[in-house]
Amino acid sequence: MTIAGRDNLPSAVAALAQPRQDAAAPAAPAGDRGRRWRRRLAYVILIGYALLMFVPFAWTVVTSFKTLPDSTQLTFIPQPFTADAWGFVFTNLRPAVPIMFANSLLIAGIVTITNLTFGSLAGYAFARLRFPGREVLFLVVLATLMIPDQLRLPPMYVLFSGLGFTKGILAYLPVILIAAISASSIFLLRQYFLTIPKDLEEAARIDGAGFFTTFTRVMLPLATPALSAVAILQFQGTWNSFFWPVVFLSADPNHWTLPLGLTEFTLGPYAKNWPPLMATVVIATIPILILYMFFQRYFVEGVAASGVKG
Amino acid sequence: MTATAAPAPASAPTPGHIGARREAFAGYLFIGGPMILFLILNIGMVLYALYMSVWKWSVLKGPLAFIGTQNYVKILSDDKFWHAVQNTLYYTVIWVPLTMAVGLFLAVVVNQKIRGQTFFRGAFYFPAIASSAAITVLWIFLVSPFGLFNEIRGALGVNPIFEALGYGPNQDWMGDYHTAMNSVIILNAWTTSGTFMLFYLASLQSISHEVYEAAAIDGAGAWQTFWKVTFPLLRPAHFFVATVGVIGGLQLFDQAFIGGGPNGEPNGALSTIVLYLYNALFTQINFSYAAAMGIVLFVIIFSATLIQRQLFGRTPAA
Repeated sequence: MTIAGRDNLPSAVAALAQPRQDAAAPAAPAGDRGRRWRRRLAYVILIGYALLMFVPFAWTVVTSFKTLPDSTQLTFIPQPFTADAWGFVFTNLRPAVPIMFANSLLIAGIVTITNLTFGSLAGYAFARLRFPGREVLFLVVLATLMIPDQLRLPPMYVLFSGLGFTKGILAYLPVILIAAISASSIFLLRQYFLTIPKDLEEAARIDGAGFFTTFTRVMLPLATPALSAVAILQFQGTWNSFFWPVVFLSADPNHWTLPLGLTEFTLGPYAKNWPPLMATVVIATIPILILYMFFQRYFVEGVAASGVKG
Repeated sequence: MTATAAPAPASAPTPGHIGARREAFAGYLFIGGPMILFLILNIGMVLYALYMSVWKWSVLKGPLAFIGTQNYVKILSDDKFWHAVQNTLYYTVIWVPLTMAVGLFLAVVVNQKIRGQTFFRGAFYFPAIASSAAITVLWIFLVSPFGLFNEIRGALGVNPIFEALGYGPNQDWMGDYHTAMNSVIILNAWTTSGTFMLFYLASLQSISHEVYEAAAIDGAGAWQTFWKVTFPLLRPAHFFVATVGVIGGLQLFDQAFIGGGPNGEPNGALSTIVLYLYNALFTQINFSYAAAMGIVLFVIIFSATLIQRQLFGRTPAA
């Protein structure tokens, strides 16, 4: 998705400074007055609404450096300023934040890798290789997007508990297998492979390269933008996921992911103990926030693309 | 799904043509892994759910006795299920239009000739990137009795208005039966409006400038142009956003669970269809009943989508 023209201001500061420049501009002809007022109103709304987006997160960070009694006060500077809550979540919490962080990272990392692998292989095959039943099978893949998770929950639980995948280290398996390949990864990569000219591939084939070599040496390097988008969307989705972890990983605290731990603490022993809860919220959000700051394009384009393609 | 109209219909490989055969073999090999997972974990699970739902089911032994449609009949007369349906519909009917309105409003404002368009677009989408757990826990804190929301309205001196509506200065918005679901509605409108904005923006930008120029020549003001030109032209986007919204709304689970636990506290105010299904499975330990409920939910979602198709005309977003 390209936004026409006017995105040349890189920083938020420059963006926020803009209305002032407008006001200093020479008086517009009378006919433009309505438009200028509308423009100003737009900026007021934009900045006001942007604050509504950021203030709660800033408040989270502030609260994580407060004491419990101070956390219910309307003070933007902690009195006293303390990192106790942070020390608490890293050492005293059971399970401690590093364990939950590692669980989240492990699951999201594996799911990202499997989606890249399966997604690019299948995406390429659906885009380029000719085989009987290709179109029907691709429709089957897309149809899986319509199946709600809840419909799959009871049989999924019966299947995986029957296999013994609900105890010990095997408990990670259901969550990973269920997310291992998403139809949207295949779809996104297939669409991208369709846009790559065939000449390169044919040249490689004439040179005697097999299908797999052509795929890994020629096509994969060309698909880097689509692979990045899939990686980011899948990592974010899995890092944030709640439904399947709560079903399969609740039993043993050592398997909890950050969203799961946050929920258990909020509903249980640490309800209303805001500073450590807010510190955990910050930790659970920071990896995605960093990704978002560097790769905002992919987030936005991923959503817009799914919107356009339906 | 115009994408499926790919070239080269997969005609059977010419017999004896080794290249085509090898290509087909490679194709099956490439899609093999994901297809196996899809067949077992998606299509297989749907069929298994159907199968489970017509049996009396033991946790240890599996199917015990064929009971036909008994589970489905039971669902129809289960008060707790209907209470959950009521909550879920209430949530969906209010949340979807509210979030669509906010999302469309943001899209139109961001689509103006303004500086920092990228920044504002990024800012408005920002709450959607956090996990449902993180954002819900943050929200519970914000609307708690001594949370930021109550503190700020106290500081602003608007409490008499709330007083008149029957809310004290330390109202527990998530903990009160009458305000819990509305709190979740506002939370999700806040986090999802950015996503809906992006959907609308993509469509807004596909409207040609000539249309607006024609409207301007006819002397239409901004307000008129929006309602007479922009809004009707966004029909495919309305359909898409409403459909995605209703499908998501009917599956409300995370925020309700995190806010009120598996029973949708306080007192079932946050009990939704999916929460009740979860309960049937893990509290009542009635596997086949839960499976039947999953089927019923799927039918509800599917019917809702068909109804919307009728309402918005048969123009899919593409």
